[in-house]
Amino acid sequence: MDMRENERPMLILKDIHKFYGKNEVIKGVSLEVRKGELVTFVGPSGCGKTTLLRLIGGFTDVSSGDIILDGQRINDLPPNLRDTRICFQNYALFPHMTVAENVGYGLKINKWPKHRIEARVKELLEMVELQAFADRMIDRLSGGQQQRVAFARALSLEPKVLLLDEPLSNLDANLRLVMREEIRNLQERLQITTVFVTHDQFEAMAISDRLVVMKDGLIEQVGSPIEIYERPANEFIAGFVGYVNFMEGRVASIDENTRNTVINTEYGKIEITLSQGDINSADEVLMVIRPESVNISLDCGGKGQNVLSGALKSYMYAGSLAKCTVKIGDRTMIIDQYNPRDAQQFKHAEKVEVHIPRSVHLLKRKR
Amino acid sequence: MAPAELSVKLQASSGSKIRDFLNANLINILAAFLFLLLAFFLLYPIIAVLIKSLRGPSGFTLEYYRSFFSKNYYFQSLFNTLLLGVINTVVCLVIGFCLAYMTTRGPWILRKPLKIIALIPLIAPPYLFALSLIILFGRNGIVTRMFDLHWQLYGFNGVVISQTLAFIPLAYMMIENTLMSLNPNLEESAYDMGASEATILRTITIPLLAPGLLKAALLIFVMTIAEFGNAAILGGRTPFLAPDTYTMITGESDFNMGSVLSVILIAPCIIIFFIHNYLLEGKKFTTIGGKPVASEPRKITPLIQAPFIIITTVAAGAIFICFAVVFVASFYKILGVTHNVVLSNYLDFTSNQAIYNSIRVSFVAAVIGAFIGVLLAYVIVRGKFFGRTFIEMVSLSGFALPGTVVGIGYLLAFSAPPLKLTGGIMILALNCVFRFLAVGVEAGISKLHQINIEIEEASADLGASFLTTFYRIVLPIMFPAFIAGFIYTFMTAIVSLSAVVFLVSPGFALASVKIFDAAVYGEVGIASATTMKLVLIVTICMLILNFIRNKTRLGGSMKKSAAV
Ligand SMILES: Nc1ncnc2c1ncn2[C@@H]1O[C@H](COP(=O)(O)OP(=O)(O)O)[C@@H](O)[C@H]1O
Ligand SMILES: [Mg+2]
Repeated sequence: MDMRENERPMLILKDIHKFYGKNEVIKGVSLEVRKGELVTFVGPSGCGKTTLLRLIGGFTDVSSGDIILDGQRINDLPPNLRDTRICFQNYALFPHMTVAENVGYGLKINKWPKHRIEARVKELLEMVELQAFADRMIDRLSGGQQQRVAFARALSLEPKVLLLDEPLSNLDANLRLVMREEIRNLQERLQITTVFVTHDQFEAMAISDRLVVMKDGLIEQVGSPIEIYERPANEFIAGFVGYVNFMEGRVASIDENTRNTVINTEYGKIEITLSQGDINSADEVLMVIRPESVNISLDCGGKGQNVLSGALKSYMYAGSLAKCTVKIGDRTMIIDQYNPRDAQQFKHAEKVEVHIPRSVHLLKRKR
Repeated sequence: MAPAELSVKLQASSGSKIRDFLNANLINILAAFLFLLLAFFLLYPIIAVLIKSLRGPSGFTLEYYRSFFSKNYYFQSLFNTLLLGVINTVVCLVIGFCLAYMTTRGPWILRKPLKIIALIPLIAPPYLFALSLIILFGRNGIVTRMFDLHWQLYGFNGVVISQTLAFIPLAYMMIENTLMSLNPNLEESAYDMGASEATILRTITIPLLAPGLLKAALLIFVMTIAEFGNAAILGGRTPFLAPDTYTMITGESDFNMGSVLSVILIAPCIIIFFIHNYLLEGKKFTTIGGKPVASEPRKITPLIQAPFIIITTVAAGAIFICFAVVFVASFYKILGVTHNVVLSNYLDFTSNQAIYNSIRVSFVAAVIGAFIGVLLAYVIVRGKFFGRTFIEMVSLSGFALPGTVVGIGYLLAFSAPPLKLTGGIMILALNCVFRFLAVGVEAGISKLHQINIEIEEASADLGASFLTTFYRIVLPIMFPAFIAGFIYTFMTAIVSLSAVVFLVSPGFALASVKIFDAAVYGEVGIASATTMKLVLIVTICMLILNFIRNKTRLGGSMKKSAAV
């Protein structure tokens, strides 16, 4: 990991802008992708993810900015001369060819000798476990199999960068989980630099080395899945990568040594250990409280630290998890209680205690 | 449950039995009535031709067919017709493909202008091109005299050129349609893997378009071999089936031989119509979901670009010149021979009388055609009776029938009791109605597919009878289809020549027939002016159609966004 950071990035995007007519779809995107890394662009539909992939692949020209692939500026190269390979969302498999012909198409175009094509196609089909389907036509395959063919076809020429546009969105939920694991395993094994695009934040977190969260043609935050989830840069990202309870407060004091921080809220004092440097005393803040980070217990009268009491509005038991809705003052808080043991008692409880953890992330509130 | 069934239940207590029966079966009664109309005005005339070709003075005979196949002249005529069809089809496909490729894959700035030029011949009567070729290259043509040219326009060359120009829009539209439905990601994937533009065309685009291209080819073939005007005006001494039929009937009054020629002409049409409908049905490569988007311009290499640009420029230029020539010629008595600009061609009494007659006939045809079209669409979509697809097929088949054959059929079928129509305006209107039904019916069908049957059922649930539902719910929704059918029938009827040329009575001239006669006798000025008038009328019709289409599309999208 450390060694790689010194290497030249495989792909660099430098302040990319893209206009369709007067409509600015990409509004200044810069990013470096290391060799062998899987970076995911994630964001709501219409935020420009596909457009960005098409720009990298060369199907449409950037309005301004530079695309640098392995040290070479490729802005003006047409797709057939770029060493990138794209998998479209609809796979775009050639319906008039067999599986083997699809996978071998790029090799044939690049004038590989026949026996080498055969060997390579065989190898690729084994890799995606489709040896038995070599002579099938595309429309006789299931969605998952088509996905694998598209993947094998894209890998056939060992591109420097692989571009995957929502590759799993046409599969049903279970298959999606299986396929994303397979893609990730292959990608790690082959050490192939990959730009992955999805609108599914959970898929993005599960599969990536790094996430690039986009909104309206702009990058909101870049970071590892853990960073994005635990230290989101703003409300949008906090809410985008999972459910979140926000609570307003004001920083009362920060201990310079222990980083022990007291926050005044309308429900009382909350003490946390501050792990970020961008918060100062007297700041108005928003606490990012994840449902699963909160402990819930039956109300036993005593008032401890970081404990708020509230009324249990609903308790939905689902085996491994119970979803609780707690009313604190006039605010509703969602709490996920994993491995719920006292379910029976909670079912009839009215008053509960909520324990806010010391590791809460803070967002500065704008005034 | 069908609306009709529901309304029976609801009204069983109140209505009389007869009314209930009518309500429940109205759609079937309507279907039966429409079928009778189709049978009588479309199938019966064709059958009459077939019978005539097989019946001599002493009953059944194959004598006329033997005569056809034993005479070199007829054989030559058949051969010319088929060769014309093949050449025409190939040339039209190539030009249509180049144009469609440029308007769907080419640079943005070229797409719109090229599309307009490719579609412009639609506003012209098909014989406009024959006329302009006469003006340019005829015996007294401008080019002929200027360069003392000895090139023979009359004959095969002239017919091929004018036919090709006339059928470019049809080829273009069909190919553009298939190109648009091709997922652009397929070609982009090939591009991505290193294929050049030419390789993409060869390995991806053309193989995937093949079924669509074949369909287009069959249709163009059928239409070109049946086309009458160009071959009759420019054919000269070269025999072609369609004009030969005309000569046989009007010149020699030999109905038996005329019928034989008709049957020979119609046979390939029927065969191809079936291939088109059954063999090619569903023969389309499908791909998985994803919204189709306009393909972004390809960075086409100059080498590939050159033939595309040459072909599109030549085609577009030729189309433009033909229009310009006819326009200019309409202001001279004979362009190139006389030199004063005159308006007399436009003021010519007989020509204006002919235009007036054409408008009358076409209006009658349009009213009847639009009504029947909407009703047929309704019956085809909502009916649940046996033989529905047969009705659909028959009603859509009219356009594939050669006009000359329908013309002879009407002469044979309606010149004597039980229904004597010849000599009147109705026979002219009716043959147009049934030949041009297809567009109205298809517009109606697609409109009906947009409405949910639940709206009708809801209305029936509320106790409305079939008639009320039809009148209150169906008709308003179908109105755009009705108007589309009306205008389409009107503008097709007003330029149509091949069938009415058999059916006009002396003293009742139609514009298209007038142009035909004028062109044949070299009265270029009158012919050009009358053609320009038709062009104007058709253009207005097109603009109205376009307006309606935009209006209704807007309505559709507004509904959608309201639902979201
Ligand atoms: N070819 C195009 N022409 C015009 N606008 C486009 C084109 N492609 C995409 N857009 C617009 O760019 C925006 C981003 O689209 P896209 O990149 O497909 O978003 P995403 O993949 O994130 O859903 C959308 O508003 C879309 O309408
Ligand atoms: Mg997308």
